[in-house]
Amino acid sequence: MAEGFEPRRRGGALATFSGFEADLLRSLASQLIELLRNEAAVPTTEIDPFEALLDFSGPTTAPEDPVLARLFPPADREDDDAAGEFRRYTETDLRSGKAGNAGLLIDALEEAGLPGEVDEPGLFIDVELSPEEAMAWLKCFTDMRLALATRLGIEDDDEDFWDTLPDEDPRSHVHDIYDWLGFLQETLVRALSR
Amino acid sequence: MPVEFEQSELDDLTAVDRPWQTVVWNDPVNLMSYVTFVFQQYFGFSKKKAEKKMLEVHQDGRSIVSSGSREEMERDVQAMHEYGLWATLEKSDG
Repeated sequence: MAEGFEPRRRGGALATFSGFEADLLRSLASQLIELLRNEAAVPTTEIDPFEALLDFSGPTTAPEDPVLARLFPPADREDDDAAGEFRRYTETDLRSGKAGNAGLLIDALEEAGLPGEVDEPGLFIDVELSPEEAMAWLKCFTDMRLALATRLGIEDDDEDFWDTLPDEDPRSHVHDIYDWLGFLQETLVRALSR
Repeated sequence: MPVEFEQSELDDLTAVDRPWQTVVWNDPVNLMSYVTFVFQQYFGFSKKKAEKKMLEVHQDGRSIVSSGSREEMERDVQAMHEYGLWATLEKSDG
């Protein structure tokens, strides 16, 4: 799969994935959904238990997991209270939006013919995305890349480090996946910009 | 007879109407093409303006992408977080 996404008429995009690649994308999207639901987006401030049960609003402090902290950064760098208020009213929606995008990605792969278990070696699937689906995929690629970059500790201008990492270093393989997602995203942006 | 404002008066008016601004910060992950695309898509910038703003983020570390009321800026920041860009809101210098 050297081509990535190609533009389609009416603004969509098309890509062909091997069974292995499609399965990898599904697995990354599932992990993202898992993570987004894992550390519950609930208020962490000490409040009355009865009140807590009736409180459907979001959290006011940043998530502890570094990936979630990057996905939901503070909206105000100078005013912690304002950042907390913003978080309270937005993080729950942002979380469900991101989980929804990852769910759409999985649905599109399975609708295109990705089986529950990939055991057929020569499997290839064509995934055709509407403009709306393509936007969800673009955002999801971003979230996956942010997640991998946070786990890997990627910084500005560190390409040499990653390029010279020995193959037996487990980070090397993860970095290849990170680069591949970047390639897919780049081709999808290009396909949608026609 | 057309009324003409001095530029400084116009600036004052703008500052009153647009007391808050949305800032997008550089990060080591997001692709230049993606950031440009998001600016075009969400703010309706021309390709040229979107690229200029993207380069500001890339080179200066930050760029002001919109200004307006607190509520409007909260909407823009939330949208940027949906796209995975790192955005904050702050008071305009005025």
